[in-house]
Amino acid sequence: MSWTEAHVRRLFWRAGFGATPAEARGWAKRGRAATLDWVVDGPRGGARLRGPAPHLRGRRLDPADVWGDDVLWWVDRMIRTTYPLQEKLTLIWHDHFATAQQDTPLMLAQNRMLRRRALGSFRALLGDVTRDPAMQLFLSLADSTKDAPNENYARELMELFTLGSGYTERDVRAAARALTGFSSRYDHSGLVSIAYRPDQHDDGVKTLLGRRGRLGVDDVLDLVTAHRDHAPFLVAKLWSYFVATPPSAATVRGLSATYRRSGLQIKPLVRAILSHPALYANLDAPDLVKCPVVYLAGALRTTGTYLTQDYPTWMLHQMGQMPFDPPSVAGWDWRPAWMSSNAMCQRFALGNYVVTWGRPRVRRGSAPATLTPRQAFQRAWSAVGEPHVSTATRSTLEHLAKHFFDDLDPRWRDTAGWRGEALQATLRHLLLTCPESQLH
Amino acid sequence: MVARRSGRILAGAALAAALVAAALGVGAAAGAGTARLARTTAVGIGAREYRFAVYRARVRRGTVRFDLTNYGQDVHDLVVETRGGRRLGRTGRVRSRSRATLALRLAPGTYRLVCDLANHAARGMRTTIRVTR
Repeated sequence: MSWTEAHVRRLFWRAGFGATPAEARGWAKRGRAATLDWVVDGPRGGARLRGPAPHLRGRRLDPADVWGDDVLWWVDRMIRTTYPLQEKLTLIWHDHFATAQQDTPLMLAQNRMLRRRALGSFRALLGDVTRDPAMQLFLSLADSTKDAPNENYARELMELFTLGSGYTERDVRAAARALTGFSSRYDHSGLVSIAYRPDQHDDGVKTLLGRRGRLGVDDVLDLVTAHRDHAPFLVAKLWSYFVATPPSAATVRGLSATYRRSGLQIKPLVRAILSHPALYANLDAPDLVKCPVVYLAGALRTTGTYLTQDYPTWMLHQMGQMPFDPPSVAGWDWRPAWMSSNAMCQRFALGNYVVTWGRPRVRRGSAPATLTPRQAFQRAWSAVGEPHVSTATRSTLEHLAKHFFDDLDPRWRDTAGWRGEALQATLRHLLLTCPESQLH
Repeated sequence: MVARRSGRILAGAALAAALVAAALGVGAAAGAGTARLARTTAVGIGAREYRFAVYRARVRRGTVRFDLTNYGQDVHDLVVETRGGRRLGRTGRVRSRSRATLALRLAPGTYRLVCDLANHAARGMRTTIRVTR
């Protein structure tokens, strides 16, 4: 497979939040293997944050206490991280193990756990999710006792988190019994702890997925991840975040084998998906809709724009993807569902935001009205990070540039810099919001 | 299938103002409210039946902005009062999955935080916060 800047851009968008022009050029030269290694393994020494920390008009972010700062805190990580795949997987696991309506400090703690486990063992991730306070409270696993086992978590564990099929109601009830014993403790300021209390655990004999015994919490997690339906389920789910077309049966079989052989490690599976030719199909016609978080973080990251305002929180809310608040335990509805008319309006507002507050804002005197249409387009395209643009869109924008000054007496164009700047702002906005920019 | 939780918290006036600014091209000047935050300590509080979770139990003197989110099913509110029972401020009634803020200048001391709707305080929606020098 050849390896071009278009390949790098595709990979960086799918595995993260886009490529800057320098990244696209640099990694195209280094080649496919080196690029994949860097994307999947991340930098030596782990992720770091590059560039200035957010200061919103002089104040630092206060993620636990100021509403919306939790969202900005995470978006900032997406913009500045040196290991974008880790942030992308954190977002994916937040959707997969969707949790909402819990106190902000608990959600932030869960987010840190998802990031720590993002590319490691799925079994370990599942163990931490099962014991995570925010999840336990959301799905009523906390305080599920032997006298009153709650089935919520057991049901979603099998339906949404690990299997999707291949289990029965009897299995759900058995798993609920085996998962009993977690007990919450509160003081006057809120939750103190959730601890496992053996006296609240049902230690009777259960039969789960064909196995009979005095099963406990880890037995349940071992059984669901060892089930024959688990690997194909997780493969198809992870694939859907990276590739628009569903995987063939043979692809699912191959990726499932990779996942099982690795001992249920996430990184080799993700590496195999990111290496698959299907990910690089139709480089000139992207077909995966950017979810709002990726659209926003990607627009900021690829244009070198750091957070200085709190508008992104409100915009994500209106675009339909508020981090830390998925609409249900099933997560968000993906793909074309992101493109409602209201959401699209907000995507246009984001273009305004970037052109107004971001690095691509037009400096006074920087764009004379005397540029040729091609020069005007080129300048705008460079300013917004050289995104993929179709020939048709490029032609349309150059046509706009050509006729932008038709109402102006040609003798005045030398002194009509403000009109040239207006054209630049318009072109940059349209490049950030055109149909191609909504896809990757 | 369990009944799945759904719905979104809708912010109030702050959200509307931000959206108007965004729709206008985000060219509006920096919001005065945000500028004030620089001199304010925020205290996040989660309310549900029948307890408060206070994310920051101790703050420094000055303006304290209580940022209340109602994660519960019932309507709740937040009343701030001195230990002697003198009421200093109260949010409006906050519906399920909504939020409200209450900013007060507080001197060093200990203050009571209660929900004064129905018997919510008696059932557990009462706590304290300490303001230090």
